[in-house]
Amino acid sequence: MAAPTPTHDATTLISLDGVGVAFRGGQLTLRPKPPFWVLKDVTFDLRQGETLGVIGRNAAGKSTLLRLLAGIIAHDRGNIINHGHSTALLSLQTGFVPHLSGRQNAILSGILLGLRRREVEARMDAIIEFSELGDFIDEPLSNYSSGMRSRLGFSVAYQVEPDILLIDETLSVGDEEFQAKSSRAMHERIRSDKTIVLVSHSAATITALCDRAVWIDNGISREVGNVDDVTAAYRAELAQRDTSAPTGAPRRIIRSKTEGVST
Amino acid sequence: MTPKVSDIEPRSRRGGWLDPRMIDLVLYKTYADLRAEAAKTYINYLWWIVDPILSMLVFYIVFGLLLGRGGDGFVAFLLTGLVFWSWYNQTLSHAGNTILGAGGLMNQVHVPKLVFPIVTILTDFTKFCVVLAVLLVFLWLSGYAINTAYLALPVLIGIQLMLCTALSILLAGVVPYLPDLKLVVNNLIHLQFFLSGIFFAPSDIPEQYHTWFYANPMATLIESYRDILLHGAWPHAGRLMAIAFVCLVVLAAAVALIQRLDKRYPRLAQ
Repeated sequence: MAAPTPTHDATTLISLDGVGVAFRGGQLTLRPKPPFWVLKDVTFDLRQGETLGVIGRNAAGKSTLLRLLAGIIAHDRGNIINHGHSTALLSLQTGFVPHLSGRQNAILSGILLGLRRREVEARMDAIIEFSELGDFIDEPLSNYSSGMRSRLGFSVAYQVEPDILLIDETLSVGDEEFQAKSSRAMHERIRSDKTIVLVSHSAATITALCDRAVWIDNGISREVGNVDDVTAAYRAELAQRDTSAPTGAPRRIIRSKTEGVST
Repeated sequence: MTPKVSDIEPRSRRGGWLDPRMIDLVLYKTYADLRAEAAKTYINYLWWIVDPILSMLVFYIVFGLLLGRGGDGFVAFLLTGLVFWSWYNQTLSHAGNTILGAGGLMNQVHVPKLVFPIVTILTDFTKFCVVLAVLLVFLWLSGYAINTAYLALPVLIGIQLMLCTALSILLAGVVPYLPDLKLVVNNLIHLQFFLSGIFFAPSDIPEQYHTWFYANPMATLIESYRDILLHGAWPHAGRLMAIAFVCLVVLAAAVALIQRLDKRYPRLAQ
């Protein structure tokens, strides 16, 4: 509370100030574990129309930050101010059920992602066309190949247009050909004037697509600002760690597997 | 306009639950769950009727034939109790897992957690309606005519729906924090089954225990159903109103609990 709040000019959509998220080992237990702070101190503003990159190594807290911005979980300390904008995590195949047809799954998934039922139905032609499923749309999902499922998943998710779109770069989308098509579509949307938060551990991706960036390290926002400055600092630190402390890596990788993946 | 998926104001009372998108979600997910469940088996929707008939047959064989409790009207008496009991039993045995089981989904999108127990309550209610229709046909064919007391039947079903909803939402909200509760509840329901007068009439137990017997809402409800369906008599309004009142209080508390913990559940179930 005592910390100075970031200034809010008219174009700020969301501001985070000293935000932390703790995991408390979940269920009630006879001997509670001490909380584990996945995010410790994150401060940045998200501005209208920008593509903000979130960069950091595995298990730095990037996925947790996305879930926090998406309103899935709540923070435990600090302040978040959302000036009334809808946010959504781009998530593929959300709520898919094997025994229903592709069409039914598309409707269910679309509603879950934030559309009204009639909106999904109105966009069904676009979904079928983009996914290239044709008549297969009325087959049960259990007859789909994994490539077909991811094509349908992406085509539905692409129809959802929240004020702020949250993207985790690790999303995998089907076969190579469709991968090219979907990332083209995604890049188009990223380059448009939509407000987007893009998470990646690749400095190259962030530099190519984003205007500004936040570097999250060990739950703390180390740098915020111009994309080139932030990625340069991130790269410098990575290079330094590679030479000085290679032993720190294995434990982090193990934890990142249990932390929940965003696909 | 773009629908609002969520905002991230902490502890805000968004009333996201009455959002028309949530009504879409509840209805479509109920429909989808029913379709998906039926699609898993060969005879699909027929199971909704065959399954309860088979389980009723078990009771008929044991109590009607083996123990010789048969006699006039015992089958109708037994079936009436069982149909309403198994609705209650099914709903409650599914309830504990509804939020806990949705872990994957909750971590992908923000969904008001009340959606999950309500969908399960509605799917179980739908299946119950089918069984109820079969029971009514059976009763009419067996000579139990429709009477004016039938007017109270929807009220009675409404009260039982409130009872199921209140307890289900409470269980759905507490079990993620206290999974052990599910095992305790299973045994309590088992006990309640024997105390609800399904295969015996309240007149079979000593008078001094009646107060306790009727404190069990299912005992009161089952007796009321039998009054209407088998005897053409009006049910005991006072007891029913008391049940409805308690259910409303529990329901309000359970809803408040789940709303309050809305953003905690995704962390418990991932």
